[in-house]
Amino acid sequence: MEIRLTDLGLNGKIIRLGGIKNIKGTVQNEIKLGAKTIVAVGNNQTVNKIIGAIIDTDIYGDFQKKTLLGIIPIGDDNSIAASFGIRNEEDACNILLARRIEKIDLGLVGDHYFLNDAIIESEGTNINLGDYSLESEEKGTVRIINLLSDKHNNINSNPHDGLLDIVITPRKKSQTILKLNKFEVTNENEQLLVDGVISVKLPAEVSVVRDLVSVIVGKERSFQ
Amino acid sequence: MFNKENKLEKFKDAETIIGASIKVKGNFHGQGNIVIEGTLEGSLKTDANIFIGEKARVTANIEAKDLIVNGEIKGSIKVKSYLSLGGTAKINGDVQYGELSIERGAIINGQLIAINDTNKKGEVREAEKNQETEE
Repeated sequence: MEIRLTDLGLNGKIIRLGGIKNIKGTVQNEIKLGAKTIVAVGNNQTVNKIIGAIIDTDIYGDFQKKTLLGIIPIGDDNSIAASFGIRNEEDACNILLARRIEKIDLGLVGDHYFLNDAIIESEGTNINLGDYSLESEEKGTVRIINLLSDKHNNINSNPHDGLLDIVITPRKKSQTILKLNKFEVTNENEQLLVDGVISVKLPAEVSVVRDLVSVIVGKERSFQ
Repeated sequence: MFNKENKLEKFKDAETIIGASIKVKGNFHGQGNIVIEGTLEGSLKTDANIFIGEKARVTANIEAKDLIVNGEIKGSIKVKSYLSLGGTAKINGDVQYGELSIERGAIINGQLIAINDTNKKGEVREAEKNQETEE
């Protein structure tokens, strides 16, 4: 893949990360040194951690908003890359070259950002909005979606609308679908799984932050 | 004759669907079409249309443009345009409507008030007042 990138004229510093723990420091150091584009080579976990590092504005302020995110998916669990129309390594190299850029909303649970979704068991989960609350009376799943295309479950979210899609799917009864921008999630027994990689303790406030990250996307992305 | 299938068409792409396993408490106010199949307690309001499913239990005052009811409602209803009550609808509360369709079997315990009729009467009264003032 490195040869392919060089052939396409995409030169840059390559850093191999030994473990997931040092991603944030490494990425932020490179941004500080002047990196304009960070390409995440890995799966959802890698992308999620790198996004967290890019948009952590506490350290570098507005400077970081100019940093672009590119993705080269490797291995399994690559739903984030798929949502951006990046199906494989070959695709990813051509997409990086084409440099089609989209500003994307991000979901926020507590201190953790997410691109795709946050999931929790529906039984015992409450969604509170101040004016009203929703409570599920059956086992199943609650998905809080920022960006995901799942035609099988009638999900086609839009990461430009400033809203999160809430999809509650019980085992037997009918599905619940609604769009919200800010709410609190509570569950005494369960935790919220963010982008399939981070477990967040509840209660937690969930919101959407508009146009927070600029991503290099493919033509076949799941949104317009 | 009221065609239930046709009327359901407009809810195919409803932005908000409250499934049968969900209980909503509070003031549920939206802008798009809303489908309620579960339980709701509080108030329910939208500028668009609401569909209340057969097994839905709604204890709330409701306001909407069009409303199709097949379940149970305890509370007053205000429908600007078209209200359709299916054969399984059960309403305990006063009902204001623009146009009304009632299927055999529907139960209503409350006053039925036609909004257009009230408006027309209001307009006539206003016109009479104006005439008296001019004279």
